[in-house]
Amino acid sequence: MTAELAENRFDEVERWSAAELAAWQLERLRDVVDYARAEVPFYRDLWRRAGISGARLGSIADFESFPVVNKDILVRAGEDWTGSARGCVGFSTRGTSGEPLLLWSSLEDQQYGIRGLLRAFSWMGFRPGMTALLLSPAWHKLAAAEAHAIARLGGSIAYFWGSMGNDSIASFLRTVAAIRPELVSTTSPFLLSCVRYGEDHRIRLRDTFRGVRSIVAVGQPLTPGLRDFLRQRLGVGDVFEKAGCQEAGIGLDDCPSHTGPHIQEDTAYLEVVDATGRSVPPGERGTFVVTKFTVGSGSVVVRYSTGDVAGFLPGECPCGRVLRRLKMYGRPESSVVVGGRTITAYDVRLAVDEDADLVGRNLVLVRGGENRLTAAIEGAAINAPALEARLYERLQVPEVELVWLGDVRLAWTFRQVIERSELGVPQQRRA
Amino acid sequence: MLPEGARLSFDVPNGRLLFGENDLDIWAEHLAWCYRVLGVLDGATIAVQDYGTSPLAFLGSSSLMPHLQSGVAERLHGRIVCLDASPERVALTPALADQVQIDALVVRAEVLGLLREVDERGGAHLLSRCPALIVAIDGDAPRVECGRTPRYLLNIESALLLAPECPRCHHFHLRHGVYRRAGDRVVNLLAPSAKSVRLAIAGRPRVGECPLGPEDCCVRLAGVGPDLKVLE
Repeated sequence: MTAELAENRFDEVERWSAAELAAWQLERLRDVVDYARAEVPFYRDLWRRAGISGARLGSIADFESFPVVNKDILVRAGEDWTGSARGCVGFSTRGTSGEPLLLWSSLEDQQYGIRGLLRAFSWMGFRPGMTALLLSPAWHKLAAAEAHAIARLGGSIAYFWGSMGNDSIASFLRTVAAIRPELVSTTSPFLLSCVRYGEDHRIRLRDTFRGVRSIVAVGQPLTPGLRDFLRQRLGVGDVFEKAGCQEAGIGLDDCPSHTGPHIQEDTAYLEVVDATGRSVPPGERGTFVVTKFTVGSGSVVVRYSTGDVAGFLPGECPCGRVLRRLKMYGRPESSVVVGGRTITAYDVRLAVDEDADLVGRNLVLVRGGENRLTAAIEGAAINAPALEARLYERLQVPEVELVWLGDVRLAWTFRQVIERSELGVPQQRRA
Repeated sequence: MLPEGARLSFDVPNGRLLFGENDLDIWAEHLAWCYRVLGVLDGATIAVQDYGTSPLAFLGSSSLMPHLQSGVAERLHGRIVCLDASPERVALTPALADQVQIDALVVRAEVLGLLREVDERGGAHLLSRCPALIVAIDGDAPRVECGRTPRYLLNIESALLLAPECPRCHHFHLRHGVYRRAGDRVVNLLAPSAKSVRLAIAGRPRVGECPLGPEDCCVRLAGVGPDLKVLE
């Protein structure tokens, strides 16, 4: 793409050079570190104990020597880690990997996140006068930010009654059919549950979703096969994968090229680190670590590890945007360790979904085999030898075991790993 | 596509609430008034165990909702904690309560039993130790013993009817200028999309007798609490 074309199509952040981006982010990180040191006893004490100098941050490399914190550390710290300007709304994390963490926020705190969402919704084709069906604003900090972004883009917002459980699917589908939104934002497991519900109840989902141009699916990475499956079953224009981290209020958003979610670089500082806390290069996997840029209102998040397995994607996106791309592959609760390698449910699904006959079947990984990867897949065995061969080749594990579940159905949930003892009682996981 | 002028649409049980750009603040002001009547003090941390699309949740703060200049938290100079009412989220409440001092807990009646169960199992005893326990009732409340007498807030979403049970007169206040009573029917004067609702009113409605709302219509409801009856 020529510079002139890029200037016409992209905003300033989408055109930043690497040097401009690094300079801008360093300034934000300096503000964050200065604020946290002055106002948040938790970080001041943590950094002093770690031997971090009290001088102004010199470089991004210096920042990467700061200790990484995680949810357990912050939960134990109670309100000490949130700072003096705590924000007026408390959001809860989902608690899928242990205890939930209470996060404080405010409208001011969400400004960077809203800016990223304005950009993302534009990529997805949302325009003034359109309507978006969004998740409940109190359910997730990013959902609240989405509402502000849609309003600032001149759109209207609709909400369905309920939550994200299966008992809310009928309510969700009724609202989609009645409102006819152009954009729907929801979670991947909920959307996949809707497809199953539609099949079970003989609902013509393509009629229900008529008029929907874009669906934003968050919370679980989508394989290309699963994205196409959703697009075709629902008859919508496009399905965009979104990842995010409400602790830092950042979203990672697919562009129409679908080569992996772009980082909204002006929202938060993202790292992928190894076990020592040092950055890994693009193409390699590590642990997702995030630092929020906003200070003065809301919880202060500095080098926070969500535990997600993630990796920067190498190369450039054909869309021409310079914003880097990062793939979140899964959380500890959606991963197993086999032969010393961390394997996520997404990794297995990627190999499964290459077979058109298997796309849309749910699967779970089974914990317990030190050198054996066990995947339980819905339905009867299809092309099993070819699938096993793909798994051996891609994942480099010593042994692969496929368990075909026949007519036992798995609920689409965030939990994608079960214990081996649960295999004997599959009816507990019937959808 | 929403009707002309509507910018926000909330599907609620038995209805749909529509709001334009300048419609939400009067409801946040009204809900803050309800909380004050129920004894919630300025500066309070209010935890709301209700679905995110309930007015009790979405009126909580301007950071939750566009077109809301000042939500309940801003008006009470306090904080709102969003807890949601789905079973998986109710299960998280005791752990969250360990991370913050909650001054007022507002619970949707239909999940009060589940909350009591996880509260007792987790040993948090939030229901008994929280300074103010407010149960939001809509006519379909299960009978739950929670070890204390809660304060009730009538919350019928389709009518956008928010009426606190007054600690002085022990009647529900249908606030003057917000609702009009016509026999046993209550009409919302400020939200055109809200349905009118029939209440099973017990005894004689009173006006001008309670200092907390001298112009309000104060009513007692048949079977208030777990046996409250809303006719439609």
